[in-house]
Amino acid sequence: MQAGRCYGFFGRNGAGKTTTIKCLLNLLRPTAGSLRVFGIDPQKDEVAVKSRLAYVPDVVAFYPWMTVRDTLNYQASFRQHWNETVAADLQRRFELDPAQKTANLSKGQKTQLALIGAIAAEPELLVLDEPTSGLDPIVRREFIETVIGAYQSGDPEHRTVFVSTHLIAEFEGLIDEFTIIAQGRNLLTMEADQARNRFCKIRARFAEAPPELKLPGAINVRQTGRELELIGNGNARELLETLRGHRPEDLRCEALSLEEIFVASKALPQESIL
Amino acid sequence: MMFHVDFKSGKPVYLQLVDQVRYAAASGALRPGDALPSIRPLAEELRVNRNTVAKAYAELESLGVIETMAGKGCFLKENDSPLTKQVRHKLLAAKIDEAVVTAHQMQVSPEVLRGLLEERIQFFERKKAAAQPEPQEKEQIWTPTNPSLTSPISTDVLDGWTPSTD
Repeated sequence: MQAGRCYGFFGRNGAGKTTTIKCLLNLLRPTAGSLRVFGIDPQKDEVAVKSRLAYVPDVVAFYPWMTVRDTLNYQASFRQHWNETVAADLQRRFELDPAQKTANLSKGQKTQLALIGAIAAEPELLVLDEPTSGLDPIVRREFIETVIGAYQSGDPEHRTVFVSTHLIAEFEGLIDEFTIIAQGRNLLTMEADQARNRFCKIRARFAEAPPELKLPGAINVRQTGRELELIGNGNARELLETLRGHRPEDLRCEALSLEEIFVASKALPQESIL
Repeated sequence: MMFHVDFKSGKPVYLQLVDQVRYAAASGALRPGDALPSIRPLAEELRVNRNTVAKAYAELESLGVIETMAGKGCFLKENDSPLTKQVRHKLLAAKIDEAVVTAHQMQVSPEVLRGLLEERIQFFERKKAAAQPEPQEKEQIWTPTNPSLTSPISTDVLDGWTPSTD
C-alpha cells in the first residue's frame, strides 16, 4: 500500500476480511505467514503500529456510562495527537449532544462518535471494517463525505484509507485500488480505473438466434433467444470483433462497476487471476 | 457547472472531470475567469477521492484550460494554447480521423458526416451564444462527454478503452 491512497478490501462473508484486519491490529495472531504495518510487525510492537492508525469497526462498543464528551476526552487521553477543532466541528455536524450517555446513542450515532474519535487523532492510516452497514442512507453518505473531507483533505499525502465493505457502490469513487479475497487468499488486486477498463458487459442482439459462438475468455455467457450477454475480461475488442462478424442488430458494451466486478470474480478462471 | 461521474463509461474518473470542464468551456457553460469549485467540496459532493479531483485539476492546468491563483482557487483561462498552429492542427486531425473511421464502420456516408460536423459546430455555437448574456440553466441538459457512448457501438469500445492521454 502507498501512503495517501484508498484501498478497498472485498470478499464474501467468511472470506477472511475481518480476520485480516484483526491480525493487522494484533487482536488475532496469524497461524501462518507474516504481516507488516508501516514496516512493523504488530506482534512485536503493537503500540508503534496502533499509535499511527485508527480503526472503526462494524459494531462499536463504548463504556455505556460515559457521555459523548467523556468518551472523546477518554480517547484523546491516550492518543499522541488530537485535533480538538476537527472533533468539535464533526460533533456539531453530526448533531451529537456532548452530554448524552453513549448507552442512549443509536447505531448510527455510535458509528459517528467512533468516526470522530478516529479522525480527530489524524492518523496516517484509517482502517474501516464494514463501517456503514446497517446505517441509514443519510448517515452513510455523511460518513463517506467525512472520510473524503475531514480526514483525507487534512493532509492528502499522508492520509491512507483501508476499507473493508460490502457496500461497494458507495465507496466506489473513493477507492484507488482494491483486493478481492476468497477463502483467505488474494483472488484479485487491481487499480479501480484499470479494472473498470478491463471488465465490461457486452450485449448483442441478432436478427435470429445465433449459432453456438466461440467466445474464448468470455465470462458468464448467457443467451436468451436472440440476445446474448457476456462479460469481457480484458478482451473486449476481440469479443466485439467476433460478435460484429455475425452482424448483430444491436451491440453494446459498458464497463462493470466495482460491485459487478466483485460478483463476476466468482466466475474468474484461476489462470486469469493476476 | 455541474459535474457528473459515470463509473460505467470505462473512462478514468479524473478524465471524465477533465472532459466535462473542456466541454463546459467549449459550450459556454464556463467562461474565462469563472471559478471552479474547490477540490474538497467537489470531492465530497461527488463522493470521489480527493486525489481524483486534484489530479483532474492538475491535468487541466497542464493543458492550459484553467489556472490556479494561490489562496483563491482555480479559474477558467482565456483560450490560448501554448502549442503551435501546426501541432494543434495535427492533434485535431487525429481526432477527426477517429470520427471518419467510425463513420466508415457505421456505414455513414462522407456527405452525411460533413453535414453532421457542421451541425455539431452550430450546436456549440448556439450554446455559447445562449450562455453569453446570462447563463441559461434551463437548456442545460447533461450531454455525455463522449457523444458516441449513446450510439450502439461506442468508439471507446473500438479503441479497446485505451485511456487517451492527449
